[in-house]
Amino acid sequence: MSLLKPFSKLPCLNSANILLVESDEEFQQSLADALVDETDFTVNVRLAKSLPLPVENEESRPRIDLVVFIINLTSELSFQSTEASLKYLDPGYFLGKVCFMATNARNASVPTERLDAVRKLAASLHCPLLFAEDQTPDGVANATERLLTILKVAAGLVPMATPLYLSNLTRCTVPLDIDQPSFD
Amino acid sequence: MEAGPAPNGSTGQKNMSPVDMLRIKQQMSNQCFEMAVQLNAGKNKRSCSTSEAERDLPDYVTELEEVKTNYFNSTLALHRMQMWHAIGEKLKQNDAEADALKAVSNRCMGMCSHIQQIQKESRDLQNEITDVQKKRLEMKRLTHEKMKEIEELMSKKEHPDIEKYKAVLEKGLANMEKYKKITIMTQNVLRGILLACKVHWLDDPKLRDLVMTLEEFPVLD
Repeated sequence: MSLLKPFSKLPCLNSANILLVESDEEFQQSLADALVDETDFTVNVRLAKSLPLPVENEESRPRIDLVVFIINLTSELSFQSTEASLKYLDPGYFLGKVCFMATNARNASVPTERLDAVRKLAASLHCPLLFAEDQTPDGVANATERLLTILKVAAGLVPMATPLYLSNLTRCTVPLDIDQPSFD
Repeated sequence: MEAGPAPNGSTGQKNMSPVDMLRIKQQMSNQCFEMAVQLNAGKNKRSCSTSEAERDLPDYVTELEEVKTNYFNSTLALHRMQMWHAIGEKLKQNDAEADALKAVSNRCMGMCSHIQQIQKESRDLQNEITDVQKKRLEMKRLTHEKMKEIEELMSKKEHPDIEKYKAVLEKGLANMEKYKKITIMTQNVLRGILLACKVHWLDDPKLRDLVMTLEEFPVLD
Protein backbone atom coordinates (compact mmCIF):
# COMPACT_ATOMS: atom_id res chain seq x y z
CA MET A 1 0.00 0.00 0.00
CA SER A 2 1.47 3.32 -0.97
CA LEU A 3 0.73 5.65 1.87
CA LEU A 4 1.09 9.36 1.44
CA LYS A 5 3.53 10.35 4.13
CA PRO A 6 3.86 13.85 5.53
CA PHE A 7 7.52 13.92 6.38
CA SER A 8 9.13 11.74 3.76
CA LYS A 9 10.40 14.65 1.69
CA LEU A 10 12.12 17.96 2.37
CA PRO A 11 9.88 20.99 2.65
CA CYS A 12 9.94 23.93 0.25
CA LEU A 13 10.83 27.50 1.13
CA ASN A 14 8.23 30.24 1.17
CA SER A 15 5.62 28.06 -0.40
CA ALA A 16 2.85 25.74 0.57
CA ASN A 17 1.55 22.63 -1.16
CA ILE A 18 -2.06 21.66 -0.94
CA LEU A 19 -3.78 18.56 -2.30
CA LEU A 20 -7.47 18.75 -3.18
CA VAL A 21 -9.20 15.37 -3.36
CA GLU A 22 -12.66 15.33 -4.87
CA SER A 23 -14.36 12.47 -6.66
CA ASP A 24 -16.68 14.76 -8.67
CA GLU A 25 -13.85 17.04 -9.82
CA GLU A 26 -16.09 20.12 -10.00
CA PHE A 27 -15.19 22.42 -7.16
CA GLN A 28 -11.50 21.56 -7.30
CA GLN A 29 -10.80 23.66 -10.34
CA SER A 30 -12.39 26.92 -9.22
CA LEU A 31 -10.89 26.52 -5.76
CA ALA A 32 -7.46 25.89 -7.26
CA ASP A 33 -7.70 28.99 -9.44
CA ALA A 34 -8.59 31.11 -6.45
CA LEU A 35 -5.86 29.58 -4.29
CA VAL A 36 -2.98 30.35 -6.63
CA ASP A 37 -3.88 34.03 -6.57
CA GLU A 38 -2.28 34.32 -3.18
CA THR A 39 0.72 36.62 -3.41
CA ASP A 40 2.43 36.55 -0.03
CA PHE A 41 3.83 33.14 -0.69
CA THR A 42 3.64 30.55 -3.42
CA VAL A 43 0.74 28.12 -3.32
CA ASN A 44 1.12 24.89 -5.26
CA VAL A 45 -2.16 23.11 -5.80
CA ARG A 46 -2.33 19.43 -6.71
CA LEU A 47 -5.66 17.95 -7.74
CA ALA A 48 -6.70 14.35 -7.37
CA LYS A 49 -9.85 12.34 -7.74
CA SER A 50 -9.02 9.90 -4.99
CA LEU A 51 -6.13 8.33 -3.16
CA PRO A 52 -3.81 6.48 -3.69
CA LEU A 53 -1.93 8.83 -5.95
CA PRO A 54 -0.30 7.42 -9.08
CA VAL A 55 3.18 6.08 -8.59
CA GLU A 56 4.55 7.72 -11.71
CA ASN A 57 4.52 11.20 -10.15
CA GLU A 58 6.02 10.02 -6.89
CA GLU A 59 9.42 11.59 -7.56
CA SER A 60 8.31 14.97 -8.87
CA ARG A 61 5.65 15.52 -6.28
CA PRO A 62 6.64 17.90 -3.50
CA ARG A 63 5.84 17.38 0.14
CA ILE A 64 2.13 17.93 0.68
CA ASP A 65 1.34 20.27 3.57
CA LEU A 66 -2.43 19.99 3.63
CA VAL A 67 -4.82 17.38 2.23
CA VAL A 68 -8.37 18.60 1.69
CA PHE A 69 -11.17 16.12 1.06
CA ILE A 70 -14.08 17.76 -0.73
CA ILE A 71 -17.34 15.92 -0.08
CA ASN A 72 -20.45 16.73 -2.07
CA LEU A 73 -23.26 16.07 0.35
CA THR A 74 -25.79 15.37 -2.39
CA SER A 75 -23.94 12.31 -3.67
CA GLU A 76 -23.33 9.16 -1.66
CA LEU A 77 -20.49 8.19 -3.98
CA SER A 78 -18.51 11.25 -2.93
CA PHE A 79 -18.67 10.24 0.72
CA GLN A 80 -17.79 6.63 0.07
CA SER A 81 -14.87 7.57 -2.15
CA THR A 82 -13.54 9.83 0.59
CA GLU A 83 -13.81 7.08 3.16
CA ALA A 84 -11.95 4.72 0.89
CA SER A 85 -9.20 7.28 0.23
CA LEU A 86 -8.60 7.82 3.93
CA LYS A 87 -6.94 4.46 4.19
CA TYR A 88 -4.10 5.56 1.93
CA LEU A 89 -3.09 8.43 4.14
CA ASP A 90 -0.33 8.04 6.70
CA PRO A 91 -1.60 8.60 10.27
CA GLY A 92 0.90 11.42 10.63
CA TYR A 93 -1.33 13.53 8.44
CA PHE A 94 -4.19 13.46 10.87
CA LEU A 95 -2.35 15.66 13.33
CA GLY A 96 -3.61 18.81 11.73
CA LYS A 97 -2.72 18.32 8.07
CA VAL A 98 -6.08 17.05 6.91
CA CYS A 99 -9.22 19.09 6.40
CA PHE A 100 -12.72 18.15 5.25
CA MET A 101 -14.79 20.46 3.13
CA ALA A 102 -18.49 19.78 2.54
CA THR A 103 -20.49 21.41 -0.24
CA ASN A 104 -24.22 21.65 -0.92
CA ALA A 105 -25.15 21.43 2.71
CA ARG A 106 -28.14 23.71 2.16
CA ASN A 107 -29.63 21.48 -0.50
CA ALA A 108 -32.98 20.09 0.54
CA SER A 109 -32.29 16.68 -0.93
CA VAL A 110 -29.45 15.97 1.47
CA PRO A 111 -30.46 13.31 3.96
CA THR A 112 -29.56 14.29 7.51
CA GLU A 113 -27.87 10.96 8.09
CA ARG A 114 -25.19 11.80 5.56
CA LEU A 115 -24.40 15.11 7.19
CA ASP A 116 -24.27 13.41 10.57
CA ALA A 117 -22.02 10.71 9.16
CA VAL A 118 -19.63 13.30 7.74
CA ARG A 119 -19.61 15.11 11.07
CA LYS A 120 -18.87 11.93 12.96
CA LEU A 121 -16.09 11.08 10.56
CA ALA A 122 -14.45 14.47 10.99
CA ALA A 123 -14.87 14.36 14.75
CA SER A 124 -13.43 10.89 15.12
CA LEU A 125 -10.37 11.93 13.14
CA HIS A 126 -10.01 15.23 15.02
CA CYS A 127 -10.07 17.26 11.82
CA PRO A 128 -11.80 20.52 11.00
CA LEU A 129 -14.92 20.39 8.89
CA LEU A 130 -15.61 23.40 6.69
CA PHE A 131 -18.80 24.08 4.79
CA ALA A 132 -18.48 25.80 1.44
CA GLU A 133 -20.78 27.22 -1.14
CA ASP A 134 -19.38 26.41 -4.52
CA GLN A 135 -21.85 28.00 -6.95
CA THR A 136 -21.06 31.69 -6.51
CA PRO A 137 -17.68 33.45 -6.78
CA ASP A 138 -18.25 34.88 -3.30
CA GLY A 139 -18.63 31.40 -1.90
CA VAL A 140 -15.46 30.26 -3.62
CA ALA A 141 -13.59 33.29 -2.30
CA ASN A 142 -14.77 32.61 1.25
CA ALA A 143 -13.78 28.97 1.07
CA THR A 144 -10.38 29.96 -0.33
CA GLU A 145 -9.76 32.36 2.52
CA ARG A 146 -10.53 29.79 5.15
CA LEU A 147 -8.44 27.13 3.47
CA LEU A 148 -5.54 29.54 3.19
CA THR A 149 -5.66 30.22 6.91
CA ILE A 150 -5.32 26.53 7.67
CA LEU A 151 -2.77 26.05 4.92
CA LYS A 152 -0.52 28.79 6.25
CA VAL A 153 -0.36 27.07 9.61
CA ALA A 154 0.17 23.66 8.07
CA ALA A 155 3.11 24.92 6.01
CA GLY A 156 4.73 26.51 9.02
CA LEU A 157 4.29 30.07 7.77
CA VAL A 158 2.61 31.29 10.95
CA PRO A 159 5.06 31.82 13.78
CA MET A 160 4.09 30.25 17.10
CA ALA A 161 1.38 28.02 15.61
CA THR A 162 1.75 24.42 14.57
CA PRO A 163 -0.89 22.40 12.73
CA LEU A 164 -1.34 20.13 15.73
CA TYR A 165 -2.10 23.11 17.94
CA LEU A 166 -4.50 24.57 15.42
CA SER A 167 -6.29 21.26 15.01
CA ASN A 168 -7.08 21.33 18.70
CA LEU A 169 -8.85 24.61 18.24
CA THR A 170 -10.62 23.86 14.97
CA ARG A 171 -11.59 20.23 15.29
CA CYS A 172 -15.11 19.25 14.51
CA THR A 173 -17.22 18.24 17.46
CA VAL A 174 -20.36 16.22 17.37
CA PRO A 175 -23.28 17.51 19.42
CA LEU A 176 -24.48 15.02 22.00
CA ASP A 177 -27.94 14.71 20.54
CA ILE A 178 -26.81 13.80 17.06
CA ASP A 179 -28.48 10.40 17.25
CA GLN A 180 -31.85 11.83 18.20
CA PRO A 181 -34.37 12.14 15.42
CA SER A 182 -34.55 15.69 14.12
CA PHE A 183 -37.65 17.71 13.25
CA ASP A 184 -38.83 16.64 9.79
CA MET B 1 -5.93 10.20 -11.37
CA GLU B 2 -3.74 13.04 -10.56
CA ALA B 3 -3.92 16.02 -12.89
CA GLY B 4 -0.73 17.86 -13.85
CA PRO B 5 0.60 20.19 -11.23
CA ALA B 6 -1.19 23.49 -11.17
CA PRO B 7 0.80 26.59 -12.18
CA ASN B 8 3.91 26.51 -10.13
CA GLY B 9 4.84 29.99 -8.98
CA SER B 10 8.53 30.62 -9.40
CA THR B 11 10.53 31.29 -6.31
CA GLY B 12 13.26 32.74 -8.45
CA GLN B 13 15.66 35.31 -7.11
CA LYS B 14 13.40 38.28 -6.76
CA ASN B 15 14.67 41.02 -4.44
CA MET B 16 14.62 39.40 -1.02
CA SER B 17 14.12 42.00 1.64
CA PRO B 18 15.36 41.28 5.16
CA VAL B 19 11.75 40.92 6.24
CA ASP B 20 11.19 38.18 3.67
CA MET B 21 14.32 36.41 4.76
CA LEU B 22 13.23 36.56 8.38
CA ARG B 23 9.89 35.11 7.37
CA ILE B 24 11.51 32.26 5.52
CA LYS B 25 13.78 31.61 8.46
CA GLN B 26 10.70 31.45 10.71
CA GLN B 27 9.10 28.98 8.35
CA MET B 28 12.15 26.78 8.35
CA SER B 29 12.38 26.76 12.13
CA ASN B 30 8.68 25.87 12.32
CA GLN B 31 9.11 23.01 9.93
CA CYS B 32 12.18 21.72 11.77
CA PHE B 33 10.25 21.91 15.02
CA GLU B 34 7.43 19.86 13.52
CA MET B 35 9.81 17.19 12.29
CA ALA B 36 11.56 17.08 15.67
CA VAL B 37 8.21 16.61 17.39
CA GLN B 38 7.40 13.78 15.02
CA LEU B 39 10.70 12.10 15.79
CA ASN B 40 10.26 12.47 19.52
CA ALA B 41 6.70 11.23 19.38
CA GLY B 42 7.79 7.67 18.90
CA LYS B 43 10.15 7.68 21.89
CA ASN B 44 8.02 7.82 25.04
CA LYS B 45 5.50 5.20 24.08
CA ARG B 46 3.00 4.34 26.75
CA SER B 47 -0.32 2.76 26.07
CA CYS B 48 -3.42 4.53 27.21
CA SER B 49 -6.94 4.62 25.89
CA THR B 50 -8.26 7.47 23.79
CA SER B 51 -10.66 8.55 26.49
CA GLU B 52 -7.79 8.98 28.94
CA ALA B 53 -5.91 10.98 26.36
CA GLU B 54 -8.99 13.09 25.68
CA ARG B 55 -9.26 13.87 29.36
CA ASP B 56 -5.67 14.99 29.70
CA LEU B 57 -5.73 17.00 26.53
CA PRO B 58 -7.45 20.19 27.82
CA ASP B 59 -4.92 20.49 30.64
CA TYR B 60 -2.02 20.43 28.24
CA VAL B 61 -3.73 22.86 25.94
CA THR B 62 -4.33 25.26 28.84
CA GLU B 63 -0.68 25.04 29.80
CA LEU B 64 0.35 25.83 26.26
CA GLU B 65 -2.07 28.75 26.14
CA GLU B 66 -0.68 30.21 29.34
CA VAL B 67 2.89 29.99 28.12
CA LYS B 68 1.94 31.55 24.81
CA THR B 69 0.10 34.42 26.49
CA ASN B 70 3.05 35.11 28.74
CA TYR B 71 5.39 35.11 25.80
CA PHE B 72 3.12 37.44 23.87
CA ASN B 73 2.82 39.85 26.79
CA SER B 74 6.57 39.89 27.29
CA THR B 75 7.08 40.60 23.60
CA LEU B 76 4.64 43.47 23.81
CA ALA B 77 6.44 44.88 26.82
CA LEU B 78 9.76 44.53 25.03
CA HIS B 79 8.42 46.34 21.97
CA ARG B 80 7.09 49.12 24.17
CA MET B 81 10.48 49.55 25.80
CA GLN B 82 12.23 49.56 22.46
CA MET B 83 9.85 52.17 21.13
CA TRP B 84 10.30 54.46 24.08
CA HIS B 85 14.04 54.09 23.90
CA ALA B 86 13.99 54.98 20.22
CA ILE B 87 11.78 58.00 20.88
CA GLY B 88 14.06 59.11 23.67
CA GLU B 89 17.14 58.81 21.50
CA LYS B 90 15.43 60.76 18.75
CA LEU B 91 14.45 63.56 21.04
CA LYS B 92 18.01 63.94 22.17
CA GLN B 93 19.12 64.77 18.66
CA ASN B 94 17.69 68.22 18.06
CA ASP B 95 16.64 68.05 14.42
CA ALA B 96 13.45 68.65 12.49
CA GLU B 97 11.90 65.28 13.38
CA ALA B 98 12.68 65.77 17.04
CA ASP B 99 10.95 69.14 16.90
CA ALA B 100 7.92 67.56 15.32
CA LEU B 101 7.91 64.91 18.06
CA LYS B 102 8.16 67.58 20.71
CA ALA B 103 5.30 69.54 19.19
CA VAL B 104 3.14 66.43 19.10
CA SER B 105 3.95 65.54 22.69
CA ASN B 106 3.19 69.11 23.82
CA ARG B 107 -0.17 68.94 22.12
CA CYS B 108 -0.83 65.62 23.82
CA MET B 109 -0.01 67.15 27.19
CA GLY B 110 -2.34 70.07 26.53
CA MET B 111 -5.16 67.76 25.57
CA CYS B 112 -4.55 65.54 28.58
CA SER B 113 -4.83 68.46 31.00
CA HIS B 114 -7.95 69.58 29.16
CA ILE B 115 -9.34 66.10 29.53
CA GLN B 116 -8.55 66.08 33.21
CA GLN B 117 -10.29 69.39 33.71
CA ILE B 118 -13.40 68.27 31.88
CA GLN B 119 -13.43 65.04 33.81
CA LYS B 120 -13.28 66.97 37.06
CA GLU B 121 -16.18 69.17 35.97
CA SER B 122 -18.26 66.22 34.96
CA ARG B 123 -17.52 64.54 38.26
CA ASP B 124 -18.68 67.63 40.18
CA LEU B 125 -21.84 67.83 38.14
CA GLN B 126 -22.47 64.17 38.74
CA ASN B 127 -22.10 64.69 42.47
CA GLU B 128 -24.57 67.55 42.39
CA ILE B 129 -27.03 65.42 40.53
CA THR B 130 -26.63 62.66 43.10
CA ASP B 131 -27.26 65.12 45.94
CA VAL B 132 -30.42 66.44 44.34
CA GLN B 133 -31.64 62.92 43.77
CA LYS B 134 -30.98 62.05 47.38
CA LYS B 135 -32.97 65.07 48.55
CA ARG B 136 -35.83 64.18 46.28
CA LEU B 137 -35.86 60.67 47.59
CA GLU B 138 -35.91 62.00 51.14
CA MET B 139 -38.85 64.27 50.32
CA LYS B 140 -40.70 61.40 48.80
CA ARG B 141 -40.14 59.31 51.86
CA LEU B 142 -41.40 62.03 54.20
CA THR B 143 -44.45 62.62 52.04
CA HIS B 144 -45.17 58.95 52.09
CA GLU B 145 -44.91 58.82 55.85
CA LYS B 146 -47.22 61.77 56.33
CA MET B 147 -49.78 60.26 54.01
CA LYS B 148 -49.70 57.06 55.99
CA GLU B 149 -50.19 58.95 59.25
CA ILE B 150 -53.14 60.84 57.83
CA GLU B 151 -54.75 57.64 56.64
CA GLU B 152 -54.29 56.09 60.04
CA LEU B 153 -55.88 59.02 61.83
CA MET B 154 -58.82 59.09 59.47
CA SER B 155 -59.55 55.47 59.98
CA LYS B 156 -58.99 55.66 63.74
CA LYS B 157 -61.34 58.60 64.45
CA GLU B 158 -64.71 56.89 64.63
CA HIS B 159 -64.25 53.67 66.43
CA PRO B 160 -62.27 54.00 69.66
CA ASP B 161 -64.36 56.83 71.17
CA ILE B 162 -67.60 55.16 70.47
CA GLU B 163 -66.29 51.82 71.71
CA LYS B 164 -65.11 53.15 75.03
CA TYR B 165 -67.69 55.73 75.92
CA LYS B 166 -70.76 54.19 74.43
CA ALA B 167 -72.11 52.95 77.70
CA VAL B 168 -71.40 56.22 79.49
CA LEU B 169 -72.92 58.22 76.64
CA GLU B 170 -76.09 56.20 76.76
CA LYS B 171 -76.38 56.60 80.46
CA GLY B 172 -75.86 60.36 80.17
CA LEU B 173 -78.47 60.61 77.44
CA ALA B 174 -80.98 58.69 79.54
CA ASN B 175 -80.31 61.00 82.47
CA MET B 176 -80.77 64.00 80.27
CA GLU B 177 -84.11 62.67 79.06
CA LYS B 178 -85.22 62.14 82.60
CA TYR B 179 -84.34 65.65 83.75
CA LYS B 180 -85.90 67.14 80.65
CA LYS B 181 -89.15 65.44 81.52
CA ILE B 182 -88.94 66.67 85.11
CA THR B 183 -88.29 70.22 83.93
CA ILE B 184 -91.19 70.13 81.50
CA MET B 185 -93.49 68.80 84.20
CA THR B 186 -92.35 71.48 86.63
CA GLN B 187 -92.91 74.16 84.03
CA ASN B 188 -96.39 72.84 83.35
CA VAL B 189 -97.19 72.87 87.06
CA LEU B 190 -95.91 76.44 87.40
CA ARG B 191 -97.94 77.51 84.40
CA GLY B 192 -101.03 75.92 85.92
CA ILE B 193 -100.47 77.71 89.23
CA LEU B 194 -99.88 81.11 87.63
CA LEU B 195 -102.95 80.72 85.48
CA ALA B 196 -105.08 79.67 88.38
CA CYS B 197 -103.89 82.55 90.57
CA LYS B 198 -104.69 85.11 87.86
CA VAL B 199 -101.59 87.07 88.69
CA HIS B 200 -100.63 90.17 86.74
CA TRP B 201 -97.20 88.91 85.70
CA LEU B 202 -96.46 91.79 83.37
CA ASP B 203 -95.97 94.14 86.30
CA ASP B 204 -93.32 92.20 88.19
CA PRO B 205 -90.02 91.98 86.24
CA LYS B 206 -88.92 88.81 87.94
CA LEU B 207 -92.23 87.13 87.20
CA ARG B 208 -92.19 88.41 83.66
CA ASP B 209 -88.79 86.84 82.97
CA LEU B 210 -90.02 83.57 84.38
CA VAL B 211 -93.13 83.54 82.23
CA MET B 212 -91.07 84.30 79.10
CA THR B 213 -89.30 81.01 79.52
CA LEU B 214 -92.60 79.12 79.54
CA GLU B 215 -94.17 78.49 76.21
CA GLU B 216 -97.50 79.83 75.03
CA PHE B 217 -98.50 81.56 78.17
CA PRO B 218 -101.70 83.40 77.46
CA VAL B 219 -101.74 87.09 78.31
CA LEU B 220 -104.31 87.79 80.88
CA ASP B 221 -105.91 91.02 81.07
